[in-house]
Amino acid sequence: MTWAETPKWVVPHPNAEDREFWEGARRGELRIQRCSTCGLHQHYPRYLCSHCGADTVAFVTASGNGTVYSFTVIRQNGVPPFNERVPFVIATVDLDEPGARILAAMPTLDPSAARIGMRVQATFRPANDELGFVDFESAE
Amino acid sequence: MGRNVCVVGVGLSDGPVTPDLSPSQLIAQSFRRALDDAGLATRDIEGLASAGYGGMHEVAVAEYLGLQPHWLDSTSCGGSSFEFHAHHAFRAIEAGDVDTIAIVYGNNQLSASGRTLGTGGGGGRGGMQPPGPMKYEFPTGMTLVGAYAMAAQRHMHEFGTTAEQLASISVQTREHAHRNAGAMYRDLITVDDVLSSRLVADPLHKLDCCVISDGGCAIILTTEERARALAHRPVFVRGGAGGTTHHSIQAMGDMTHTAAAVSGPKAFAEAGIRPSDVDVFCAYDSFTYTVLVTLEDLGFVPKGEGGPFVADGSLRLGGALPTNPDGGGLSNTHPGMRGLYLLCEATRQLRGDAGDSQVEGAEIAVCNGSGGWLSTQGTVVLGTEPR
Repeated sequence: MTWAETPKWVVPHPNAEDREFWEGARRGELRIQRCSTCGLHQHYPRYLCSHCGADTVAFVTASGNGTVYSFTVIRQNGVPPFNERVPFVIATVDLDEPGARILAAMPTLDPSAARIGMRVQATFRPANDELGFVDFESAE
Repeated sequence: MGRNVCVVGVGLSDGPVTPDLSPSQLIAQSFRRALDDAGLATRDIEGLASAGYGGMHEVAVAEYLGLQPHWLDSTSCGGSSFEFHAHHAFRAIEAGDVDTIAIVYGNNQLSASGRTLGTGGGGGRGGMQPPGPMKYEFPTGMTLVGAYAMAAQRHMHEFGTTAEQLASISVQTREHAHRNAGAMYRDLITVDDVLSSRLVADPLHKLDCCVISDGGCAIILTTEERARALAHRPVFVRGGAGGTTHHSIQAMGDMTHTAAAVSGPKAFAEAGIRPSDVDVFCAYDSFTYTVLVTLEDLGFVPKGEGGPFVADGSLRLGGALPTNPDGGGLSNTHPGMRGLYLLCEATRQLRGDAGDSQVEGAEIAVCNGSGGWLSTQGTVVLGTEPR
């Protein structure tokens, strides 16, 4: 099964707190939270700011630009459909919005081209009609 | 300071492959052996700690073992749970809340689920979405091995650590397993063997990963006063501490530092020791990187210098810091969670009962459990003498 297809067991189960993240990805927006008290950002959605503890977080749309903090190449994953997609790159990306890091797949990146520090940008992939996933691709 | 606390009994189940024993039976078998080792009876056990995989796990274990304990600890933070249990038990006995506590674990990980732990999703079966923050990582295709691999990759980037250096941890641990007749894998291996084993998640190869086995383990702690009346030379708990920095790997701010950088110094200070005093290191070795990063965080070697340190043969018997003389999780046994085995091996070493695996003259041992995705760290210092 390719990256374009999402089996139903991989479709997220959104809750009231994170639905905006998944629906944003379906619309082509990377939705993260910004804290108006400390000015820092976070992914994934939470009630309190994980940096300063304030309850003053609200969704903003991130630029989608970031830098790879680290990565791995997944060469073994026993769960369908991932077992049919290996090898693929997974990266932790520090977003340009301070404080926010997101782990995401980089389906179009040649594993041999992955490196720490590479500039990347978000891309979006539908999970179903309402929800989507955030991926990244090289911006270099 | 309250009463001194000792480990007086240790028990290992049959293993590492026991298709005919359930998790409960593995617990019971190792518990029985720990009681016999200590010279104690079931009625002597007043407190119970365990970590498992279901709700009220430790209560079900108590019933299965015929215990009605009045002290319970169900701290469940992955592989390090048992260092947390030992620390809490130490504190409870020290304070006089309870005299005698058993810590138990058992799982038929291999026979029930095969080699799925690490790359097979939550339970090795598709269709189950993981709880908590893992829900954001699961749809990417991330794996447990991948999380450790990502942290190792960052360490290599920042400090120049090499795949060869990581591989040397597996090589030395296999030398230990070679001397252990009960170990799962005993044939000697080379750095090239590790590097030519297939990559599971870059930069970690198959032989950078722990084994998956079945097994149960139990230890019993009590007061020094009671310990003095029992069969074995008492092994003293000298200090302990734990900590956590994150759950999912995307929330691990600095992937080259774990909570052991906090729990280690706290435990060492309580124990009145320095890293240079340690004779045996029982390290959680879920992956080679787990050993490398915790060696640094505990202060055995400065941050970033773990690679050259391990490549120098430091982990061997007779090396600078003999590590996992039983063959560790990398070669001996790892039934889902391994933290309790560290305490068992440290006790064996400090008693001088380790046979061919004995670290000569061992007086101080450090156990460091790691749980989750380098998420939780628990450090316990044991010694042949009290603080």
